[in-house]
Amino acid sequence: MIRALREGLRAAGRNWGLTLLLLGLNLGAAAALALPLAGLLEADLAQRDAAQNTLTGFDYGWWKEWSEQQSGFAKDFGPELFGVGFVFRNLELLLGGQLPAGLFVSKATSEAADVDPLILVLGAGYLVLQTFLAGGLLGVLRAPESGWTVRGLLHGSGFYFGRMFRLLLVVLAVDSLIFALNIPFAAWVDGRAREAVSENTAVVLVFGRHALLLFALLSVHLLAGYAKAIIVVEERSSALLALVSSLGFCLRRIGRTVGHYAAVAALALLLAAAWALLDVAWPVSGYRTQLVSLVLAQALVGGRIFLRLALMGGQVALYRRSA
Amino acid sequence: MIRGAPAAGVVLLLLAAAPTARPQAAAAHGLPPLAVEPTDPLPPLPTQSARNANYTIEARLDTERHQIEGELTLTWRNDTGAPQDTFPFHLYWNAFRNNLSTSARGGGRRAALRETVGPLDERAYGYTHVQMVHFIDDQGEVDVSRTRRFVQPDDANPDDRTLMEVVSPRPVAPGQTARFRVWWTSRIPYGDRGRAGWVHDMNFIVQWFPKISGTQGGRFVAHQFHPQSEFFSDFGSYDVRLTLPKGHVVGATGQQTERVLNPDGTESLLFHEDDVHDFAWTAGRRFLERRGRFEDPGYPPVDIRLLLQPEHEHLGERYIEAARIALRSYGAWSAPYPYKQLTVVDPAWSSASGGMEYPTLITGGAGRFSPPILHSPENVTIHEAGHQFWYLLVANNEFEEAWLDEGFNRYHDRKASFLALGPRGWARRYFGLAGRNNSGWPVVAPGVRLTMVDDALPQLRRSGRSDVMARPTWQYLDTDSWNLNSYNKPALSLHTLEGLLGEATMNRILRTYARRYRFQHPTSRDFITVVNEVTGSDWQWFFDETWYGSGLLDYAVAVREEELRKPRGFVEGPDGAPASVPSPSASPDAGKGPYEVEVTVRRLGETRLPVEVQVEWSDGRVRRETWDGRDRWTRFRYREPVKVARVVVDPDRKLALDVNPANNSWTSENGIPRRAARKLSARFLLWLQNLLELHTVLG
Repeated sequence: MIRALREGLRAAGRNWGLTLLLLGLNLGAAAALALPLAGLLEADLAQRDAAQNTLTGFDYGWWKEWSEQQSGFAKDFGPELFGVGFVFRNLELLLGGQLPAGLFVSKATSEAADVDPLILVLGAGYLVLQTFLAGGLLGVLRAPESGWTVRGLLHGSGFYFGRMFRLLLVVLAVDSLIFALNIPFAAWVDGRAREAVSENTAVVLVFGRHALLLFALLSVHLLAGYAKAIIVVEERSSALLALVSSLGFCLRRIGRTVGHYAAVAALALLLAAAWALLDVAWPVSGYRTQLVSLVLAQALVGGRIFLRLALMGGQVALYRRSA
Repeated sequence: MIRGAPAAGVVLLLLAAAPTARPQAAAAHGLPPLAVEPTDPLPPLPTQSARNANYTIEARLDTERHQIEGELTLTWRNDTGAPQDTFPFHLYWNAFRNNLSTSARGGGRRAALRETVGPLDERAYGYTHVQMVHFIDDQGEVDVSRTRRFVQPDDANPDDRTLMEVVSPRPVAPGQTARFRVWWTSRIPYGDRGRAGWVHDMNFIVQWFPKISGTQGGRFVAHQFHPQSEFFSDFGSYDVRLTLPKGHVVGATGQQTERVLNPDGTESLLFHEDDVHDFAWTAGRRFLERRGRFEDPGYPPVDIRLLLQPEHEHLGERYIEAARIALRSYGAWSAPYPYKQLTVVDPAWSSASGGMEYPTLITGGAGRFSPPILHSPENVTIHEAGHQFWYLLVANNEFEEAWLDEGFNRYHDRKASFLALGPRGWARRYFGLAGRNNSGWPVVAPGVRLTMVDDALPQLRRSGRSDVMARPTWQYLDTDSWNLNSYNKPALSLHTLEGLLGEATMNRILRTYARRYRFQHPTSRDFITVVNEVTGSDWQWFFDETWYGSGLLDYAVAVREEELRKPRGFVEGPDGAPASVPSPSASPDAGKGPYEVEVTVRRLGETRLPVEVQVEWSDGRVRRETWDGRDRWTRFRYREPVKVARVVVDPDRKLALDVNPANNSWTSENGIPRRAARKLSARFLLWLQNLLELHTVLG
């Protein structure tokens, strides 16, 4: 597990350009909505005291009134995104079935406030893009010493895209099953929680059911990761069989595969915690502080992408060594 | 290698709910002094009420069958000034009798039998069944049970059984005293919907006995129980003997004067209190008991008894401190609390009894995870303890004029909380149970602090035009309108009145009103009379614009500024004839002034209140203008050597009712809006980037 972790990190480190490339794509996609939002905000703040209040803190009264006037994606901007709030908001959207494209939303279980369809469409497009790139990225990480070229990356991506896309559909089908099973389960658990004598019991039950759902989704992600590795390493043509093989592989080496995954997840958590500490300690007001804050934020996202690549690289290494 | 990594999740959670500072003792903050200015011509503080509705109650609680059997003797004096032979009694628990009651047909958080918190089952139903009523006067005791009938004066719903009338064989003359003996049984509803009820081992028993209607203006105030309506009754003395199985911790109105262990395994507790207009109690096996005391120079000491859920043990001191804040601040703003004790109940999980007030007993309510910066349970405790002053001592008619206690209380609780605890933070809760406000993990937004009125204005914008504030609670358009007009609009109106009058005058008004009407049933008219009396002028216009209106208040400002024009075209020549002025070439003095400025203040809403306008020039000079707000707009013109830097309408934020304070200011171009917009959109960008990346977990 440690070795896989180390190899994955090394593979991602050797090909750091991939991280930059993916960060650029990610930033570009997000900026497509963030830049118009900046325009909307500036127009409303123009020649108002609220601008100064916002620069030095946050003018809740102004934001609330502004937010009431908004429609579309701008409505999704609010103070819940501050600090580490965005992590929880995203987790809520994931567990609420909003991702991707609102596919798994159930009125029975979703407490997550709706998110604008444009954002969901953007997210779905991003998922397809990453699915397209998965084959190419794994191709690079399969032989990390060889380096990479954009042409090679695109070639690999195109070569495996069909299989990766089919795998995506299979994974979404499995996720769909998980969310479907979650509906009666969540209702049952919530019913028990409502009837609990102590709030502590209710907290354990309700947090527990969310944690279980997250665990199930991450388990599928783990399997999908090895299935992708199998497709690339063994040139499998069947996505479904690759997923089955992945299941067998992970079950046989459950300690190593889950341990490796958990280690990468823990590093991601550390990254978010570091961001949280920095964010609280770093007041943002002028251009300079904003620039530093932006760099820190991109370091966070870049770090997260790097860890994704490290996970893929580690999984390839672990599979090749153990299969 | 990653030994520290699991801790990262914990760090993340802790940072998310990052408590900032713990609330400090009230004395350390800016709460007002009790001492009244010597010039204050305040009325004397009454020491006792009229005591015209006195109850002696014997009740037995069956915790297995969730039933109460009771017998009461009501000694009632006719203070209406007219003979009375028809006597209305409230049977509130019949709101839970079936799905046909007026309350069950209504909506909102307080509606009996609402299904939003989960599916209804048989436990949800409850009732009060009056078995027998006797009338007793100096001519003897008569069974008047056969005269019982249910009445529905508010909505003619024949299925509503929350108001019962009995007829006496002879009228009770003004000033005469009559007695009623009532035998009844009750089934206690499950307590996850209404304020009363049982959940597990906790019984919260309120509005539970057949209770005669209060009187006001020479009439009985007899209304049914509506989802949003609360209560009204006359003052008296209560002697209540409760018999229940041993092992319960019991909290109740008044003081326990006796405890008897019965041979059948039950115990009987006797409680007594004078000068109250209700009696509530609770019994539970899980309560932890904590005690505190309120002592402050000039105030009578008060014992604070807290009945706490075990899982909320860490909130104990915060509950008690909040009660102290209320007793101190409300005591200063109205008149000191006269009773010897205050019981604060932390309701059980699943119970809907939180956030309610009864004489000398209140309920709080908080979640397991309550960062101090969110002021929970402080705010609810301050509010409910504040009701001891507004409603339980100054006993307005909550059916018909709910704003007189809820609005006054909201006005004061926000002030007390703000002064004692500082501005409240903002959080969003995640992964909680639907329909449970305080459940879930609170993620506090760093740097976000709310002013006293920030959380009230959105509702005013949303529902401010739905209703005139001054109307009976069940006649509002919907739950939101009821909430606004009972709580936030009157509170904002009082903040505005304070802004216009000044804090010292406002305090004098409220102290006068609270003293004059302690143990009384004042109306809105009485309050306005006090305002006029204390200020020495007629403020009816203010209440017409606010309490008796349904308009919104919104001022906005716009500025037009240009350099003083040099003449072009034709001007008068030396001979008086038009003389052409040549077009000037680019002047080296361009942009150096002087300037002509037009400041236009517009009234976008219907409400008209006087307002100040502050104009600030770039050389630091400041000028204040006033406008009565009667027209739709006004314009101020200036010719000054320098540019205007800033214009603010209502610079001291006196007009708390202004629904959009953001449009009250104008500042010269300074690049700040762009920086501010970028700062905020960077947050959105980061969220979106992470959200996009999260999608890869599903692929």
